[in-house]
This record gives sequence, C-alpha cells and structure tokens, in this order.
Amino acid sequence: MTQKPSLIIKLAVLAIAAALLFWPFLFQDVRSIQVAARICVFIVLVASYDLLIGYTGIVSFAHVMFFGFGSYGSAIALDQMGPGWLPVGLGALAGVALSLVIAVAIGLLSLRVKAIFFAMITLATASVALVLASQLSGLTGGEDGITYKAPDLFKPATKLWLNAEGKVAQLWGVRLNGKLAAYYFVFLSSLMLFVVMLRLVGSPIGTVLKAIRENEARAEAIGYRVVAYRTFVFCIAAVVASLAGSVYAVWLKYTGPETALSFDIMIDILLMVVIGGMGTMWGAVIGATLLVLAQYYLRDLMGAAAEALSGLPLLPEILSPDRWLLWLGIVFILLVYFFPKGIVGTLSAKGAR
Amino acid sequence: MTTPSLITQDLTIRFGGHVAVNAVSCAFRPGELTVIVGPNGAGKTTYFNLISGQLRATSGRVLKNGTDLTAMAPSARAHHGVGRAFQLTNLFPGLSVLENIRLAVQAHSGDGWRLFRPAASLKGLTAKAETYLEATKLTPVAHQAASELSHGDQRKLEVALLMAMEPDIYMFDEPTAGMSLDHAPDVLELIADIKRDTTKTVLLVEHKMDVVRALADRIIVLHNGELLADGAPEEVMSSQIVKDVYLGKGVAA
Repeated sequence: MTQKPSLIIKLAVLAIAAALLFWPFLFQDVRSIQVAARICVFIVLVASYDLLIGYTGIVSFAHVMFFGFGSYGSAIALDQMGPGWLPVGLGALAGVALSLVIAVAIGLLSLRVKAIFFAMITLATASVALVLASQLSGLTGGEDGITYKAPDLFKPATKLWLNAEGKVAQLWGVRLNGKLAAYYFVFLSSLMLFVVMLRLVGSPIGTVLKAIRENEARAEAIGYRVVAYRTFVFCIAAVVASLAGSVYAVWLKYTGPETALSFDIMIDILLMVVIGGMGTMWGAVIGATLLVLAQYYLRDLMGAAAEALSGLPLLPEILSPDRWLLWLGIVFILLVYFFPKGIVGTLSAKGAR
Repeated sequence: MTTPSLITQDLTIRFGGHVAVNAVSCAFRPGELTVIVGPNGAGKTTYFNLISGQLRATSGRVLKNGTDLTAMAPSARAHHGVGRAFQLTNLFPGLSVLENIRLAVQAHSGDGWRLFRPAASLKGLTAKAETYLEATKLTPVAHQAASELSHGDQRKLEVALLMAMEPDIYMFDEPTAGMSLDHAPDVLELIADIKRDTTKTVLLVEHKMDVVRALADRIIVLHNGELLADGAPEEVMSSQIVKDVYLGKGVAA
C-alpha cells in the first residue's frame, strides 16, 4: 500500500531490533537465546514469503520447502565433511542452487495458471520434498534428522577474547564465547538478508510487483512481462528462504523434518504474515516476534497465572498450561478480528486517517 | 499518402461458434484519427483487444510498421509502441496517482528491472511522471490512492497512463464514458493535442456524435464483427448503410 508505517509500528520495530541486538546481554539462559535466534530467522523467512503473498499476490505453500533445502544443504555438508566453513558455504550454495532450479521450474511451468492451481502445485511439490526427506534416510537421517557439529568458532568452549588471566573475557557479565559468536552470526546474516529485501521492495522492481498484485492485466498492458516478474520474485524469495534455512541449520546443529520441512512451519509462516500484516516488510518483524514469543512463553505465563490463582475455583483449570494451544488459538482469532489487515496494515490505515 | 503504421489483415476471432470479429482488414496512418463506431456488441472492443493483445486472433495478422505482432503478448506489443486505454477503468487501485503514472513511464524507460535502487530516487522517472500529472490536471491528487479518486479523475488517470507510455499508436476506448460535462472537455482536449502530432496514429471508439464530428479524420463502422463502412466522416455519416445499422432496416426501408 502507499501508506507509510505509523509511529507506533516504527517504534515497535525499532524496539524489537534493539532487543535482538542486545539479547544475549539482556537474557542469559539457553532457552531465551534459542528464542531470539528463532525470531531472527523467522523474520527473514516471513519477509521473504511476504514478497510473494503480500507484494506480488502469489500464494505458495512451498516456501518451507526452500527453507528445508537450505537447512538440509548445510546439514548434510556439515555431517559428511565435518565441521568447518567450507561445508557451510558449499551446503548453502547447494541449497540455493536446488531452490533456484525448482523455483524456475515451478515458476515457468505454472505461474501462468490460475492462483488456486499454482497454490496446489506448490503444495504437491512441498509434499514430495517432505516425503523424500524422510525416505532418503541415508542422506537426510529420515524422521530422526541429522545431528552434526557447527564450525569451531561457534563451540561454547571457544574463547573470543581473553582477559589478563588468560580466561574467557566477560562483557557486562556475559562471557565472550562461541555461543555468543553463533548468535551474532544468526543476527547479522538475518539483518543482511532483511535489508536486501527492504532495498528490493523500495526499488523500481518493487513497484512493479505491487502493480502486478493490484492489476495484473494492466501491468501487462503497459509493458511489463508479468510471468517473468513473477518467476523472478518467486526465485528471489526461494533463495532468501534457502539461505535462512542454512543459517538456522548452523545455529541448531540439528536438522530434521520437524525443524526444516514440516507443514507446521508453513502454517507458522502463514500465521505470522497474516498477523503482522501483508505487503509490509515491517509486518514480518512484528508477526514473527509475536508468534515465536507466544509459542515459547505462553505456556510459562499460563503456568504462573494458574499458580497465582490456585486458591480460586475453576480459573486455574482454565489457565492450566496444558491448554496453551487453546489460548493461542483464541489469541489468533482475536488478532484477526481486531486487526483484519494485520497489525501493521490496520495500524497504518488508522494512522493515515 | 504516408505509409500505414498499423495494419490489420483479415483479423478474425471466434468464440466457439460465434465470430466476434470477422476478417477485418484496415490500415491506419500516422497523423490520422480514426473513430470506430457501431452498435453495442459490434465487436469494437474485441477488435481493440486483438490489436493490443488481450485476445489472440483465431486467424489474420496485426502489423505495426511491418512487424508482425500477432503472436506477441500485450507487454511486447506495448514495447512496440501500441498503447491502449480501457473502457472500464483499469488502474492500480491501491497505488498513488503518481505511482500509477510512474509505472507507465518506467515500463518503457528500461528501468523495470533495476534492483536495489530506491524507486523514489529515480528523479528522471518522477519528473516525467509529473509532466503527465500536469497535462491531465491531476497534480492536486498526485498522492491519493487511485481508488479514492472521483470517476472523472479516474478516467483522466486512465488517459494519463496511456500518454505516459508514449506510444506511436493511441487507442482510446470511450474515453469520456460516464464523465461529467465539465470533465469531458479536458480529455477531448488531450486527444486533440495528440492528434496534432503528425507522427502519432489515434484510434478512438466513441458513441457521442458531437465528439466524433469534432475529432474524426475518418470513420469506420463495425457491425456484427464485420467492417461495414470506411471513409471520411461526412461521407460515412450520411451513408444509407450506417443509417440502416443504427436505426434498423425497417425504419430506413
């Protein structure tokens, strides 16, 4: 849309960026840094999906597949060649290459057909990839996935900086070790990919993509080859998703269908883009952050609430942590009801008035 | 006489058993404004769609300066200088008026594929878009979304998009349809300006007879998909055949 993001959105995005930048210094437990890394990766993944669904109006269910290609690329290379930067690079490259080939094939063969058929084709392709990953267990580890070692720099025992006594130095009480390096690898890679996408949507080609979403036939009539632009953006989104997958694989040191290919991830992506707001890169930031936080902390929050209310009748039962999915569902319904265009879209529309 | 810039040879399209445009052969020359008339369902808009590429011909050919466009997609025809404005307003509703026009400027500037450079920084494109804003008197609404414009302004934007494409062939499909009396003259004035440029070819579908009289160098009549008459305005308008078509044979006989 033409509207500029409102002040609240700008502040929220800025706050999230600052929080992610300083996260290891703010929260030091293992779980919370896991959350931060997941937020970083999912912001990129959701933003790349927004290039398709929000900017160009392409509905694809294969996005998680491209994420998986990148994940498995790096994972298999690290597994077979041992830890190091070469396997990370080669694996990422292989993932990108495979993603590109499949994206071009899907794009050229089927972006001409109606949106619903295209969506079905991507669904079928992604299902095939999921089945292949679990069947080719020699390569992919099947349902169990693969566990491997990350490059040495990211080992928790790695000392980034030594103090006078020859031990690992601390900054604001945080040890400057390999784990910290791994987080900043995730953070900076994600930031870079996100900035590249921001530049893309702000460039002339970004306007063309919006024009295709708004009125495909007229875009063609004034001289834009719609199929070419659609295939192009489908490829770009696939490459970015694939790279995000590689980064996540290096971080997790484990890749399996659950973390890289399952349709649960696809549903997460869809929810994040809808909740955040389509057609705004900022929506991806807000949607991914909210949903990941909810997935990790809603249970804890409910546990605490149930305990606090333990004297009362019924309420602790309703708030029992076992029912967290029910509450997550209710939160989604409320969000979609009160923010029909997503949080960013709805707030921007209100701000414009 | 100058050589024709646009030629249709036996142009035909069949939808099942229905022949919507039947073997229409016609040549259009630079500096000439041709009005296409005919009753509803005569095939005027279909004929336009065949020339600008929204529909592919069943048989026959479309030639622009000797190049065969018949198999080309609409975008390729646009790059060959065939520009088209639509009868039903056909804009980019969520984008601003300026963005709408800039897209049309950008399409034939070769900047469509420029990556990673802020669109707003392409000053040349914006400056050019602004000249078309001014020409169509849309400057005051430049930053409104196209969907928020009044019907009259939307029709003007439709014309502005066509002008911004800077084609050799201008095709207008009832440009003043549904416009109020105070808006219509602006659009007609723009068409008259284009007509003064002797390198441009203009095709115009129009019903309003005063408009036809004011602008036409030549009139062709389509009826049931066939080319019925072709000639100078007074000649065609006074011919018996046109009266038959418009008023029905019974009345004329």
